[in-house]
Amino acid sequence: MDTLLSQPLTLSSYPRAIMHVDGDAFFTSVEQSIHPELKGRPVVTGKERGIIACASYEAKALGIRRGVGLWEARRMCKDLVVLPSDYEVYSLYSKRMFDILRRYTPIVEEHSIDEGFADISGLRRVFHASYEEIARRVQRDIHNELDIGVSIGLSLTKGLVKLASKFRKPRGFTAVAGYHIHLFLQRIPLEDVWGFGRNTVQLLHKHGLKTAYDFATRPEGWADRLLGKVGRDIRMELRGVSVIPVSPEEKSAYATISKCKTFTASSDDRDFIYAKLVRNAESACIKLRRYRLCARELIVILRHKDYRQEAVEAKLNRPTSAVQEMVPLVRELFESLYRPGAAYRATMIVLGKLQTDQNRQYELFEDPVRMDAMIRASRAIDEINERFGKHKVCLGSGLHLNRHQRTERDDAPWRKRNLLEGETARRRLGLPRLCVDV
Amino acid sequence: MPKTMQIHERVRRLRAFYREEKRMPGYAEMLKMFGYRSKNSVYGLLQKLETLGYVRKTPQGKITPTSRLTGSIKLLGAVQAGFPSPAEEELVDVLSLDEYLVRRPEATYMLTVNGDSMVEAGIHPDDIVLVERGGTPRNGDIVVAQVDGEWTIKYFHKDRKDRKTVRLEPANPRYKPIVPRQSLVLGGIVKAVVRKYR
Repeated sequence: MDTLLSQPLTLSSYPRAIMHVDGDAFFTSVEQSIHPELKGRPVVTGKERGIIACASYEAKALGIRRGVGLWEARRMCKDLVVLPSDYEVYSLYSKRMFDILRRYTPIVEEHSIDEGFADISGLRRVFHASYEEIARRVQRDIHNELDIGVSIGLSLTKGLVKLASKFRKPRGFTAVAGYHIHLFLQRIPLEDVWGFGRNTVQLLHKHGLKTAYDFATRPEGWADRLLGKVGRDIRMELRGVSVIPVSPEEKSAYATISKCKTFTASSDDRDFIYAKLVRNAESACIKLRRYRLCARELIVILRHKDYRQEAVEAKLNRPTSAVQEMVPLVRELFESLYRPGAAYRATMIVLGKLQTDQNRQYELFEDPVRMDAMIRASRAIDEINERFGKHKVCLGSGLHLNRHQRTERDDAPWRKRNLLEGETARRRLGLPRLCVDV
Repeated sequence: MPKTMQIHERVRRLRAFYREEKRMPGYAEMLKMFGYRSKNSVYGLLQKLETLGYVRKTPQGKITPTSRLTGSIKLLGAVQAGFPSPAEEELVDVLSLDEYLVRRPEATYMLTVNGDSMVEAGIHPDDIVLVERGGTPRNGDIVVAQVDGEWTIKYFHKDRKDRKTVRLEPANPRYKPIVPRQSLVLGGIVKAVVRKYR
C-alpha cells in the first residue's frame, strides 16, 4: 500500500480525546523509584514465584523478559537484582497515578494496576491548552512526582490509544489526530491490535491482510460476517469512531472469581497441596461474600511443576458462599486429579456461575436451619478475620500449610522486613517509603 | 463532563449531623438532608464517600463513619483572657494529622534519616522525614538530593546572582557545605519531620 495515496479515514482532529497511560515496566520502575540505587541496573521482580513478573528495561536489553525462569535469567546476567513482588507499594503507586489523572478529568478508567484510560474531551478550555499539551502535562506530573516512566497515547478511541501508547516506549508520547489515523494504522501489524488473538490474526492473514489499516479499510459488512460484533467494534474503533466508552465505574460485577497461588517451592506433599487448595477456596469465598455473591459452579486446577495443568469442574448442589459447603466437593475433585508422587507448583480455584446472594430460595428437602447457621458462621469468621487478620480463623487443613522447606522464594519485600515503630504485619502507613541512605 | 458532586458540602453536613446526634443519619434522613428524590442517589453518594474514605460499610451493610469524617483529633479553642472558662471544643472543621503533615498526597514519600548532618535543623538519626517530589526548591528549603552519586539531606542554597551555583549546607558544624562537581539530582523537598516517642 502506498502511504501517500491512501485516503484519510476522517478529516477532523479530535472529535473526542481519549488518552491511555501505560506504566513502563511498572513493578520494576516502582522498585527503582523507592530504591534509587537500582536505577540503571537490571532489575526483575517475581522472586516469590521463581518466574519473572516484570523486567526493567535494563534487564530487557539483556534479553530477560517476563515469564522467563529465574535460574535462566541469572545465567543470562550475573548481576541481576531479583526482588520479591511488593504489591502493597505497587498499589500505592497505582493509586497515585490515577489520582494524578483525576486532577485533569473525572472520567478515568482504571484498566489494570499499571494502565488506565482517561477521557479529556472538551477540557481544552479549562486548561487553556491543546489536548496534546494536557496529555503531556499528565505525563510530566507522573514523571516528576512518582519518578516512574509512563508512555502516553492520545487519540480518538480506546482501541487507537492503546496502540498509540505502545507505539513508543519507554517514556513515549504518541498523539494520533483523526487525519493521521490512516498513516498510523499502516505501521501497526495486526498482532498488536487490541482484541485480536493469535487465531484471529492468522485468519486475517489468510485473507491477505497485514496491517491494522488493511482491516480498518475493509467494508463494514465484511468485518461483521467474519468476526461478528467484536470485529465490527474493533473496526469502528480503529477508524476513530468511539464505540467502547471510557467507563469510570469501579468493577462491581464479576463473571467468575478465581484464586491461584504458586507454592514457593514445588511440592509432592498431598496434605500440603490440598491445604493450599482449600486456602484458595477460603480466599475466593471471602471475596465472594464481600461482593455479596454466591457461586453455583466450582473448578479445581492443579498445575504441575512443568506448567502442565489439569482441571476438573463440577456443579454445587445449590448456590453458596460458605466454604464449608464447598469443601466436600473440593476434596472430591482434588482426589480425582491428584497423582501421588507428582510434583505440583500451584493450585487454583475458580468459582463460576455467580449470582447475588439475595432472594435465595430453599429447596424442598433442604435444611434451612443448618443453612442459616452456615451463613451466620461465615459472617462471624469474616468479622473475626477483619479484626485479627486474614485467615486467623480457618479450616483445619490450614495446619498443613507450614509444612514446607523455606527457600529464597519466601523472602519478604523490603518494606515488610523493615517495619516502622507501631506498624504490624497487617497495618502499615499508606505512604511509600524511600530507601535512601541520608 | 458530568455534573460534579459537591462532596465537601455533603461531608460538612454529615459531620455536623454526626457531632450533633452522635450517630450517622439513615437513608431517609439523608434523602431529606441533601434534597434527593430517590434513595438510589443516597446510595450513590455513600459509594462515593466510601471510596473517598469518609464512611465504611459493615458486612451487614450498615454505614459507619471513619476518623476521616469524625476527625480524629479535636482542636481546642483559645482560652479567652479573664474568663475562668475551660477551653471549649471549637466546632471548626477538623484537620487530621495526615492532612496537616501531607500537603500533596500523590507526591509525598517517607524516608528514614540515617546521618546527623541536619541535627541543628531538628532532624535526628532515625527520624522520618516526609519528602515531596516534583517541586522546585527555594533557598532555605531542606532537600534530599543525590550529589555526585551520593545521597544527602541538606539545606538548599542557590546563588542569587549566579543562578547556576547550588550549595548544599548542613545544619551541623562538623560537616562542610557541598558544592556539586559533576551531578546534582533532586530527590525532593522535606516538608515535615515525624518522631515518635515511647
